[in-house]
Amino acid sequence: MADLGRAALVVSLGLAFYALVGGGYAAHTGKRRLASSARNALLACFGSTLVAAAVLATALARRDFSFVYVATHTNRTLPTVYALSAFWGGQEGSLLLWLLVLTGYGALAVSLNRRLLRDLVAWVVPVFGGIATFFAFVLVAVASPFDTQTAPVDGAGLTPSLQNPYMVAHPPMLYLGYVGLSVPFAFAAGALLSGRTDERWIVATRRWTLAAWMFLGFGQLLGAHWAYVEVGWGGYYAWDPVENAALMPWLASTAFLHSVMIQERKGMLKVWNMVLVALAFELSLFGTFLTRSGVVNSIHSFSKSPIGGWFLSFVVISSIFSLAVILWRLPLLKARTRLESALSREAAFLYNNLLLVALSLTVLWGVLFPIVTQLVKGETRTMGRPYYDFFLRSFGLPLLLLMGIGPLIAWRKASVRSLVRTLTWPIATAVVAGVTLVAVGAGSSTPGLIAYTFAAFVLATIVVELVRGTRATGSLTMLIARNRRRYGGYVVHAAIVLLAIGIAGSSAYQTTREQRLVPGQSTEVAGYHLTYERIDPIRNDPNRTGRYAVLNVSGRWNGTLRTGQVTYTGFQETDEDVGIKTDWLRAQDLYVIANFDKGSAVFFKILVKPLVNLIWLAGIVFVLGSLVALWPDAREQRRLVTRLAPAQA
Amino acid sequence: MTWVILGAVVAAVAVVLVALPFLREPQADDDRLDAPTDADARRLELIESRDRALAALKELEFDHRTGKIADDDYRQLVSPLRQAAAVALKSLDEETARYGPAMTDFEPPVPVPEPAPPPDEGTPPTPAPVPEPYPPPDEGTPPRLPEE
Repeated sequence: MADLGRAALVVSLGLAFYALVGGGYAAHTGKRRLASSARNALLACFGSTLVAAAVLATALARRDFSFVYVATHTNRTLPTVYALSAFWGGQEGSLLLWLLVLTGYGALAVSLNRRLLRDLVAWVVPVFGGIATFFAFVLVAVASPFDTQTAPVDGAGLTPSLQNPYMVAHPPMLYLGYVGLSVPFAFAAGALLSGRTDERWIVATRRWTLAAWMFLGFGQLLGAHWAYVEVGWGGYYAWDPVENAALMPWLASTAFLHSVMIQERKGMLKVWNMVLVALAFELSLFGTFLTRSGVVNSIHSFSKSPIGGWFLSFVVISSIFSLAVILWRLPLLKARTRLESALSREAAFLYNNLLLVALSLTVLWGVLFPIVTQLVKGETRTMGRPYYDFFLRSFGLPLLLLMGIGPLIAWRKASVRSLVRTLTWPIATAVVAGVTLVAVGAGSSTPGLIAYTFAAFVLATIVVELVRGTRATGSLTMLIARNRRRYGGYVVHAAIVLLAIGIAGSSAYQTTREQRLVPGQSTEVAGYHLTYERIDPIRNDPNRTGRYAVLNVSGRWNGTLRTGQVTYTGFQETDEDVGIKTDWLRAQDLYVIANFDKGSAVFFKILVKPLVNLIWLAGIVFVLGSLVALWPDAREQRRLVTRLAPAQA
Repeated sequence: MTWVILGAVVAAVAVVLVALPFLREPQADDDRLDAPTDADARRLELIESRDRALAALKELEFDHRTGKIADDDYRQLVSPLRQAAAVALKSLDEETARYGPAMTDFEPPVPVPEPAPPPDEGTPPTPAPVPEPYPPPDEGTPPRLPEE
């Protein structure tokens, strides 16, 4: 069976290379049949990659240990769902998933636009072909998932921390996001290469960009929840290099989604938008490089592998390519209009863009710093949490404020008088919220207080926008239905506000107590009374050993909480199995971690995290808002057809 | 061996798919890739200008009705925007007359309520009353402009 997988990958490599070279030649010389042939090669590349993926999935499901990959990442006792999720649990499988999603996206995007954007698609095919060639080459020559061996009796199994429902969904979600950014990149590059830098590529890829951005954002939240319940250190985001690797392209694509509106409305920022699309794509490649190369220490990193150099080379080559085509087409990207006023919606978007890109590059510097210090000084120095927290506050809080101001400023030009009038209610709401928070004792954390006040301001602006819009149109439903993109965006803004409240609440107002207890002793934390009852060892389980501390909780909640440490058979690592009790009314968690001391004594770390569950709620609202903005619109489709029709004349 | 044969089948199917355009048309009369002419590109540019100008007008109307723009500012901004929209429409008409209709799938614009006229000097500072629900600026078909 491995032979079929290998053959399918070789075919994929050949087809991708043909799409690159044949498609490039066809687009350059204007040969129609060759261009169609190259497009078919891209479709066939998806088909052959699908065959390779099916082979690997079958081998995983059947626990065919003659595949080195299957033997390394599964064993006979592993449940089938986790055996299948081992597809992306290892390096080779993850790369195959990259190629599968890439060719799938490419085939679909090219097929859907082949009639309306014929001239552009001819140049998009070789760009997809180039990216696919790289991944297929790595899979064929450097990291094949189809290496075989004499089958051992049993496999090594999947890392215990990956045996979690979140790990079934989180990596594919991130991949859909990472790889999805290749669609706007390929169309932007196609527009530049063909010299057709009008807005057709933006209109055609808008939903692709939104979908990729949604997957990337939601994937990160799934990962954060996995870290929270599984890794057991009491937090959900550790500024780990690989977490940052997903955050950076998300920030860059967030900036793009805003700035592209200025190009659509005013014909400005064409160069900037091209740079942002390229930046988002390069950062997604860089993220994959960070995850796969092992160049930085991270809980996500795979061991150092030979693909690091290949990936870095590809990131450098594709960055040079992006920069070169942008510079080449610079004369075509000149803006027709200028910013009319520093007090306008487009100016607010511009400030938002600067902050988002600054935050993204600050995070990038934090990620690169250990590599740079290793190269320059020969010692690895890392940027700690204070570095990231400082810049998150410095850029994040103004961003939150802008999220409230932006929707209330008029396009083109706003007067101070009308702005003050428009902002009266939101400002009043924010002041009342701030004063109330100080009165109830939330003034202990200045950043927390500012975040809450700004959050109240943003929520008030959303309400004001909806009320005024409904008054003007006569119907809320019609208001939203006629401009899903704008009002979907407001729902996403509400999600970001929930996220900010959740982050501020669970970090700035968290209560922590660390205490050594022996059975029978008690402690009190933020209204919870905890009594350490006993130790429960794990018995009669062939897959795991370990023990749990059992706590009796009273006060704000009455019940029993178990927290312990577990070692899985065949693995050296010990996992924290934290005890979490959620108070849904307050959206807060009681979170207990146990570290066993001599005898039956235990060091408990007890955290009460207010509003932490708003972070997960934000994920659901975020997806809802994104779907509203993404939802197909027949009128928009008609507009697209009328816009694109001249190209077919 | 079966798997090797299946691999060969995958390769053969791929080759056929790639060769299909040449198999369908071994001797193509016209093998040129459709590419927009300069006239098409110009028309596309004009369509974009038209859409942008009309969208800007609708945005301005909506911002005025929702109180984001004061009456004075509205009066100041609306005239140049109408002029820009009229110029864009006129240029597009001229271009179409010169080269013939190119947009085969073009649907005639659906008439929507005319934008409210700019308030007169004596008009109170509140936005003019809306006779019927006014659609918010959207991605839909651009409205017809009143004759300048």
